Amino acid sequence: MAGLAEALEWAREQVSSRVPKADLDQRDPDYIRDTLPMTWLVASLYFRADVQHLDRIPAEGPVLLIGNHSGGNVPPDTFVFTLAFCSYFGVERPFYQLAHNLVVSAPPLGWLRKFGTVAANPENARLALESGAALLVYPGGDYEVFRPSWERHKVDFDGRMGYVKLAREAGVPIVPVSSVGGQESALFLNRGQWLAKLLRADKTLRLKSIPISLALPWGLNISDLAGHIPLPTKISIEVQHPIEVDGDDQAVHDKVMASLQAGVDRLAERRRFPVIG
Amino acid sequence: MRVDRSNVIDADRDAVWKIVSDPDNYPSFMTNLERWDSANDQSPSVGARYFVHWKVGSVPVGGLMEIVEFDDLRDLAWVGITGVTMRGRIRLRDAGKGQTKVTFRLSYQAPGGIWGYIADRVAVGQVGRIAADTLKRLQKRAESGG
Repeated sequence: MAGLAEALEWAREQVSSRVPKADLDQRDPDYIRDTLPMTWLVASLYFRADVQHLDRIPAEGPVLLIGNHSGGNVPPDTFVFTLAFCSYFGVERPFYQLAHNLVVSAPPLGWLRKFGTVAANPENARLALESGAALLVYPGGDYEVFRPSWERHKVDFDGRMGYVKLAREAGVPIVPVSSVGGQESALFLNRGQWLAKLLRADKTLRLKSIPISLALPWGLNISDLAGHIPLPTKISIEVQHPIEVDGDDQAVHDKVMASLQAGVDRLAERRRFPVIG
Repeated sequence: MRVDRSNVIDADRDAVWKIVSDPDNYPSFMTNLERWDSANDQSPSVGARYFVHWKVGSVPVGGLMEIVEFDDLRDLAWVGITGVTMRGRIRLRDAGKGQTKVTFRLSYQAPGGIWGYIADRVAVGQVGRIAADTLKRLQKRAESGG
């Protein structure tokens, strides 16, 4: 048991030492521009994506974009929305995304930092908003992204509402971004929170879930740390109207959740079949 | 890639020019147009800028455009300043008997080397349909009196 604890402590140190300090300058608009055609091809041909109402996002200035998160460690919704935002507003508009420490510290995913992906913590979020950028946050994080596929149309942040305080302190509006389809990219069976606790990954790696799913090419996929090949599920995204932060945190959070869930319900109604859309 | 579509409208050049010379009219006849918003509050003329996006594939494609040619009753052309490298042109010529030949051209080139080339090739069919359908809708509007 002592050996396991040491191994976990070693893993924690490895991850935390590799989490890069937020450096907004690592975002590279030319790199993003050059990769847009490839992402457009994947989004258009593989995911048959449809993104609506980008015009609801304020045309300039900082804004906090709050989305429901789907698709495990290979979330097509993030990928498609980032493409849509950069296409619509241009790569010149600063745009950052918060991601889990494990994502930003993984060496093969270093290119994400050029897209504006920074480690998810309040300091980085404030830094991005204070710089005047748009910031995409998925408060549900690893809890929501690994929900069972039969709960795919349920928005669930596990009660997290720190984003409201963030928006209030930065004086920026919140724009909810609803999406469906991502949770059909694999068959997610269980969040595996019990497994995360058993292995103490919740303490050492900030991993509250070690999910269990059926996914390509692994078959039975435990943890999804190596990712998976997503099924060609149709991704639909609808941007909602901005919400001003003018009430207490719970009231604003309730508004955001209601707006997101209503958007998800609308998109889900239009969906006739899983994956196919 | 360059897409070039033409048709003959049963209306004189003045009537057609009246529609195409005012970009505020574009949302009413341009197919898949998601956005055509003024960017510098300049009346339609050389130097006027617009934010323009067409829905091509999964997302709106376009960017900031500037009018570079505004030749009364003849040509209106624009170039993309941000986004995909692009040129657009609406060209009017007499077709006899009070008719007008309208040509709609879109030339574009995505960045990204080979991926950009593939994306251009994949998109060209849809861009062609957008151009053809735009002309049909312009024809309908012009022939019904603007």
